[in-house]
Amino acid sequence: MAEVTSDIDWDALSADELAGLERKIAAKYMQGFPVGIVIWGFANTAIWLSLWPLVLLDIMPLWMAFPIALVNVSAAYLPSHDAQHSIIAREGHKLRWLNELLGHVSLIPFAAPFRYLRYTHFEHHAHANDPALDPDYDVHAESRGQFFRKALARMQPAAAQDEQAYAAALKRIGKEHLLLEAVLIRSFYLLVLFFTAWSGYALEAALLWWIPLLVSQVYIRYYLSWKPHHPGKRTGRYEDTSAFRSVLGNIGSSGMQYHIVHHLYPRIPLMRTPAAYRELRPILQRQGCDLGEL
Amino acid sequence: MMLEKFIGLLFAPLTFALGFLAPLFMQLLDAVGWSTPMASNAIIAFAVTGIWGLLAQLRGSWVWLK
Repeated sequence: MAEVTSDIDWDALSADELAGLERKIAAKYMQGFPVGIVIWGFANTAIWLSLWPLVLLDIMPLWMAFPIALVNVSAAYLPSHDAQHSIIAREGHKLRWLNELLGHVSLIPFAAPFRYLRYTHFEHHAHANDPALDPDYDVHAESRGQFFRKALARMQPAAAQDEQAYAAALKRIGKEHLLLEAVLIRSFYLLVLFFTAWSGYALEAALLWWIPLLVSQVYIRYYLSWKPHHPGKRTGRYEDTSAFRSVLGNIGSSGMQYHIVHHLYPRIPLMRTPAAYRELRPILQRQGCDLGEL
Repeated sequence: MMLEKFIGLLFAPLTFALGFLAPLFMQLLDAVGWSTPMASNAIIAFAVTGIWGLLAQLRGSWVWLK
């Protein structure tokens, strides 16, 4: 893609010109069909599903399947995240069905409902870091250590912060019927675990789904919620999230180093956020964004 | 109402303990070749996970952390 910003005297631009240029750059990265994320979503679920017969029929050893399942389950959320923002196809587009199908199918390993996550995620975007309205606000913690302690506490039966915040968000926007979808999908997940366990494949179910899901839930919360919004005290278009450099790199952090681009322009596909960030960087600096060391 | 009761039962820690952790623990004991003349692996697995599940149900936590 040709750079919009070559040979620009940044300091000579007015606030309006800067904002206009920002929108022009962002619009460039929203164009085109994001084929990579579509292949990722379907292939990831297909690979994870294929692990079950491969392991149960003794074609693949469980020790080999476990790390693959761990990657699959951890990578399951992001294609759905692009679909939540209708990046593959907007409502009314002839490929809208593909957008929605990707959203649902990619989440199968993550045992989560697409529409429930979509509408609560919209509320997160609309109210990021607002203690009363951001359904993801409870993920905030003062330090990395506290985040992990809190993550463990949130897995306990008595912890209902997630469900309560998400249910409240859905009720606010008149979508509380989606709670039933969440309960049904979670029930299906539990019944599959129980059935496979009592069929003599408990260890297989634990290493292909239960443990990968526990690990990936913490991983996703860390990189998609806690890290890019930490310390979570500021609200506002250029202040509610930041760029950061991850020790795991961009792929290892699920592309979240550039989360600031996503919050500013949610319709830029995940895979184009690094390039968009590099071109937007001079503008973001002048808008006072926290760009970390990136 | 029936559905609510069913969901409540399905999501209960004790159900998870007996529905999943018990067979998992049993399979683990078998896999490492553990056996004792005192009780079968199935009874040990049920006892351990059942008590753990019951405590989790009463305390609201599997790991004494809330």
